Amino acid sequence: MSASETTQIHQPRERGARFGRRLMPAGRVLVVLLVTLLVWTLLYAPSMKRAADASPLGIRRTVSLAVLTPFAALSEWTGIGELAGAIERATGKEAGSQGGPFVPPPEDIPLAPRTPDEEGPGTGQNGGPGGNGNGGTNGNPDGGPNGGDGGATAEADSIRAPTPRQKLRVVIVGDSLAAGLGFFAERVFRPRLVVVSGQGRISTGLARPDYFNWPFTMHRIVDRFDPDLVIVMLGENDHQSLQTVQGHRDAPIGTSSWPTAYRERVEGMMRIATSQGAKVVWAGLPVSANRDLREHSLRQNAIFERAAESVDGVTYFDAWDRFRAPKGGYTAYVREAGRVILIRAADGLHFNAVGYTILAREIAKRASEEFGLSPRTFETAI
Amino acid sequence: MLFPTVDFAIFFVLVFVGHWLLNHLERPWKWFMIAASYVFYGWWNWRFVPLLIGVSAMAQLGAIAVSRARSPRLRLVVNGIAVALLLVPLAFFKYYGFLAVNVTNSFIALGMGYSLPLLQVVLPVGISFFTFMAISYVVDVYRGDFEVAGWTDTFLYLAFFPHLVAGPIVRPGELIPQIRERRDERHVDVAGASWLILGGLFKKVVVSSFLAAAIVDPVFGDPAVSSGPDALFAILGYAIVIYADFSGYTDIAIGVARLLGFRFPLNFDRPYAATSIQDFWRRWHMTLSRWLRDYLYIPLGGNRRGTRRTYINVMVTMVLGGLWHGAAWTFVFWGAYHGALLAVHQWRVRRGDVRDPDSGVAVLRRSAATFGLVCVGWVFFRADSMETAFVLLGRLVTGWATPTEFVTPMVVFTVAGMLALQYWPKSLGLWVQSGLSRLRPAPMGIVLSIALLAIVTLGPTGVAPFIYFQF
Repeated sequence: MSASETTQIHQPRERGARFGRRLMPAGRVLVVLLVTLLVWTLLYAPSMKRAADASPLGIRRTVSLAVLTPFAALSEWTGIGELAGAIERATGKEAGSQGGPFVPPPEDIPLAPRTPDEEGPGTGQNGGPGGNGNGGTNGNPDGGPNGGDGGATAEADSIRAPTPRQKLRVVIVGDSLAAGLGFFAERVFRPRLVVVSGQGRISTGLARPDYFNWPFTMHRIVDRFDPDLVIVMLGENDHQSLQTVQGHRDAPIGTSSWPTAYRERVEGMMRIATSQGAKVVWAGLPVSANRDLREHSLRQNAIFERAAESVDGVTYFDAWDRFRAPKGGYTAYVREAGRVILIRAADGLHFNAVGYTILAREIAKRASEEFGLSPRTFETAI
Repeated sequence: MLFPTVDFAIFFVLVFVGHWLLNHLERPWKWFMIAASYVFYGWWNWRFVPLLIGVSAMAQLGAIAVSRARSPRLRLVVNGIAVALLLVPLAFFKYYGFLAVNVTNSFIALGMGYSLPLLQVVLPVGISFFTFMAISYVVDVYRGDFEVAGWTDTFLYLAFFPHLVAGPIVRPGELIPQIRERRDERHVDVAGASWLILGGLFKKVVVSSFLAAAIVDPVFGDPAVSSGPDALFAILGYAIVIYADFSGYTDIAIGVARLLGFRFPLNFDRPYAATSIQDFWRRWHMTLSRWLRDYLYIPLGGNRRGTRRTYINVMVTMVLGGLWHGAAWTFVFWGAYHGALLAVHQWRVRRGDVRDPDSGVAVLRRSAATFGLVCVGWVFFRADSMETAFVLLGRLVTGWATPTEFVTPMVVFTVAGMLALQYWPKSLGLWVQSGLSRLRPAPMGIVLSIALLAIVTLGPTGVAPFIYFQF
């Protein structure tokens, strides 16, 4: 449909006679606008109030809450807000006001292979006892708790060596940075030896499980995909108060309880990711062009790093240090193979295609150093 | 400020009230609308408001200088200087980064230690559009098509918020007379405007968001492993995405302007129903096409300097049009590709090989062929590199043994539905608008709210502007 195409340029003084369209005085149009805005606000006031409640402290949040609180009360009292919630539930969405996440967990998580070929003993080039292709020095001697399908165990220090028939499973989770990383990780990891599943979800984080529940989703990914390596990159959207799954406030932003509660969430996510033996590379936040974000991002990175030290099977990748300017601030460029390359997107936060490719390669190198990920599994040049 | 946000809804209600209250007071109204437009622009990044003011001042000074130049030669020189100065900010913001990297790497390759400052220049929103409009103004004054306007008229012409972010590119002769006239507050086309705004939102929020996430982004992100059907529907899907996104935004702009009593030119007219590549460019981003024609192609000589020169002019115009989209070889190729298609079409027309289709089937056949050619061009437009584009096109041939991953019934339905709507009878839309216009204000407001609810419900889950960040 193209609305602009079905309407001729209209002369206001013709009173719409040509197409039988009645024109209206501006005062009445204002009534139309106000009624539309009022009904719309009543429909969505509860969810908008929750969003405002979780937004960063400041004048905008204060004004938003002052305006929305009475509307949300009126919406709930009249039951109008329930209408929007009911429609969204009927179409498979949750509005969040009923205690569930706004964005349901993904349904497209691939299943780990369970074919006899892939599970059978000694089928891989490096196959040893347990049949998980672990004959190399990086292998897992036990075959893991997943029916010997190549999964590593929690006790193993290294990621198993893959074969074309027993490919490694790598999953990338997190926010929009992870979504971009997921796309380009598929170019860095060699498809002959690695299956990559990009599970990044934009506008998500650990602060708002009522919007998107990452711990639940991580459980599902571990159960279905049984990854060997989990790459996590999130946190850019977590500069806000922490909410519970039910949408209640847990730890307000700017208070002393926030870092403790946030670290608990980070460690919880790490434990879920490593629960069936996967190794985790947790990528910290890169320096952004927005100076206002930097201080909080650095605090988050410190939390990620300390949490990674406290959970077995997790290592921290310092994206801040890797992509900062020589003198410390933000830069959109790196020197790579004797050339200057633009690596950041115009928003000063995300990476461009080359940047994501370099990031994926650096993370793979980190996994190689820490967990013995075979260098055969990824490209070392961009 | 973006249209589909709560911020804009509140802003617009306030501006609507001020606009119609001050409508009969010429000067206060103009200052109010200029201030409102700068608030709209500065909401995104207030640091770029001085740029908009500077370009407006430069355009006005340029137009005054052109009008006062006595000899034709001097007018030509002054016009050239004014246009060149207007292009400087656009060139800097758009191409500096590309230039700095390439110059620096050239120095490195030569073993020299020099480097241009490696800035990541943020492109100000709408800079192309208000620069093009500023050039229109100066050149139209030079050509004698338009008299020099007053300062406030010029500033409002360039900053008027409905067109500021993404067009349409309105000529001074189309907008400035409307700025000077008093708008009729008794006859506002609310039904037509609502149809445009809701239709635009539907295209942008529902169609574009869905197809981009469901197939286009994943397949273009990693085309090497995509199946033939995935590649095919990603290409078709991108044709729909770019159309729905862009035409949706300009439909909203036209609708918003209409609520304020302004008329903007159409920007899209069923482009995928075009029966030739020339016809496509008469229907796609119409205000840019005519701008390129009037301010680039015709000054280059148009078709007045012989056949060969005509083809060269077409190629130059289209390559520059491609380069305007961004400093990348993919855009250059896209422009050159369309230039070549247009040149071949003109050559065939001259030979008498192109006749009007004589039946509905012939029209459909020609439309399908044109759409196919346009889609090939979109691959280069969307791809992040030439390699990606060729890999994706290659998968159309080699990928049919690979299992399909992203083609779902909903993707097929959406693509097919949007293509079918290119043939949507205009009377149907007018009939809906007519029915809507007969409602009283309160019921109309409720109907519009329900339509908005439907759009949000049909849109992909968690469309960010409405809940997470945009509040």
